[in-house]
Amino acid sequence: MTIQGLIIQLLSGISTGMVIFLIAVGLSLIFGTLKILNLAHGALFMLGAYLCYWISSELAEIGGSFWLALLIAPLIVALFGGMVEFLLLRRIYNREPLDQYLLTFALILVIGDIIKLLWGVDFHMVPVPGPLSGPLIFKGLIFPRYNLFLILCGPIVFVGLWGLMRYTKLGKVIRAVTYSRDMANALGTNVPMVYTVVFMLGCWFAGLGGTLIAPLTSAMPGMDMVILIECFIIVVIGGLGSLSGAFLGAIIFGLVNAFGIIVLPRLAIAFAFILMIVVLIIRPWGLMGKPE
Amino acid sequence: MMQAIEKGKNGLSPIWILAAMVLFVSLPLVLPLSWLSLLTEILILALAACALNLMLGYAGMVSFGPAGLYAVGAYTTALILVNTKLPFWLALAAGPVFAGIVAIVIGWFCVRLTHVYFALLTLAFSQIIHTIIFGWYAFTKGDDGIVGIPIPILLRSIPSYYYFTLSVLAVSVAIMWMIVNSPFGKTLQALRENPERTEFIGINVRRYQLAVFVLSGFFLGLAGSVFCGFSKSVFPAYAYWVKSAEMLVVCLLGGIHNFLGPIVGSLVYIYLDEIITDFTHYWPLILGLVIIALLLFLPGGIAGAIAEKLSVRGKNTMKAQRYDSR
Repeated sequence: MTIQGLIIQLLSGISTGMVIFLIAVGLSLIFGTLKILNLAHGALFMLGAYLCYWISSELAEIGGSFWLALLIAPLIVALFGGMVEFLLLRRIYNREPLDQYLLTFALILVIGDIIKLLWGVDFHMVPVPGPLSGPLIFKGLIFPRYNLFLILCGPIVFVGLWGLMRYTKLGKVIRAVTYSRDMANALGTNVPMVYTVVFMLGCWFAGLGGTLIAPLTSAMPGMDMVILIECFIIVVIGGLGSLSGAFLGAIIFGLVNAFGIIVLPRLAIAFAFILMIVVLIIRPWGLMGKPE
Repeated sequence: MMQAIEKGKNGLSPIWILAAMVLFVSLPLVLPLSWLSLLTEILILALAACALNLMLGYAGMVSFGPAGLYAVGAYTTALILVNTKLPFWLALAAGPVFAGIVAIVIGWFCVRLTHVYFALLTLAFSQIIHTIIFGWYAFTKGDDGIVGIPIPILLRSIPSYYYFTLSVLAVSVAIMWMIVNSPFGKTLQALRENPERTEFIGINVRRYQLAVFVLSGFFLGLAGSVFCGFSKSVFPAYAYWVKSAEMLVVCLLGGIHNFLGPIVGSLVYIYLDEIITDFTHYWPLILGLVIIALLLFLPGGIAGAIAEKLSVRGKNTMKAQRYDSR
């Protein structure tokens, strides 16, 4: 392989990784604070993608409809998530994990079918927004601009979320609840409220990921499960509940996938699974996580 | 705690067993063939769900990947029947045995982890099995699947395969019943209730978990093999996580803390599937809503609720109380 080909493969691996990072970080955030593995996270991501299609096609005549979708779609997903948390999840926090898995699994089915009801089963293309369409050519390297934009989004979100958790009042409260729910509660924090906010934030990330991926792969049925499995791999490698772990895991996953495809096209995902298994056995709490 | 462990012998007097036997044996005389075929499917799913429930309900180990071992059983039988001249019964026996061997390998890794990590590792292994079946075209025919699997003439008619499935299920369920009521089974339940204390009284937790993982894998493989003979075809979808989720839902629907729960669950699940898909394409939506309603209003599952109603002496209400008290 030429050096150009290698760089392209590297970049494409990182850009895939960065999109999945956006989604995985939401999953990890929710798990870290609520101690719930939200199986419906992929479905919320798919909802984001369809909303992006819907908003950008409804408002196609207005310039910059994609950017409007980018603003609105994740918010709708977050509101929907807030509703789910308030009406359903709240009732089962004290139950066995199996019940939580099954409830969020049921949500996959429900959300998937609602999407089918609203938008049918066809693929829906979303055009790449104007300034980001077309390739960027640099010293003989040809690479889509949109993917470069995605590579930028990852670190921006990472730094933004890190700052939120580190320096704001909300971040402090979330960290306190994550560290000790009972103590935070005793000191007067409204824990159920924090749970709702964190769940909504996690869903917002899922929606954001969905919106951003729509121009790349279009919105289609089944995309929810593919991404969910990939998110699992990422958060397990990085450490469930760890923000930097999700970032590291996403880059590793993107690269393993990009180069795995060259070696064994049909079995590429197996490399990522094997990596996940190795991490689970050697360091079950992940590369950046802390042992329980 | 003792009550929780003692429960299990719920309302299974010999008279009921005999009545159920007579009912199931005589059904082919009255049911049309299409229903009989559906019933065979129900029995096979019930076998798989009972196998999963050994782990889930009795040992408290939530696996996301039972379909992997189910598919190992199905593909083993299919590949032997297609590629060799070995007799059917040998191919059928090879399925569960090989699934058991694979379960030893997978389980050896999985029992080192607990809770969500255990669940995710089982998912990863089953997805690897799926990827291998899907990607190794030369051997498994990939997503084309293997079709037209030859089975003996004796078993080709629907009623005869029904009786065959029924006898496999009856024998397997009897064995599983003996397992869960043996000292080994009691130890598993103790382990589910409190792994730390169980370890303190000198039980090797991992060894017990591995043992139940392999047993469960064996019966999952058997269910896969029997299904392979039923549909005369196998597909990578058998190993997909959707199939695993289906088995989990069946267990929940029936009630995981009741021995017969998975069988009731399988009946209700496939029956619902059949009647609902008749008038709407949105079966997943209905199923999702049913699961949510069940979780919120009937946490012990259908069989759990029935057992509670039936038990005058309050023997079986322990689990329900556990839910309420938290």
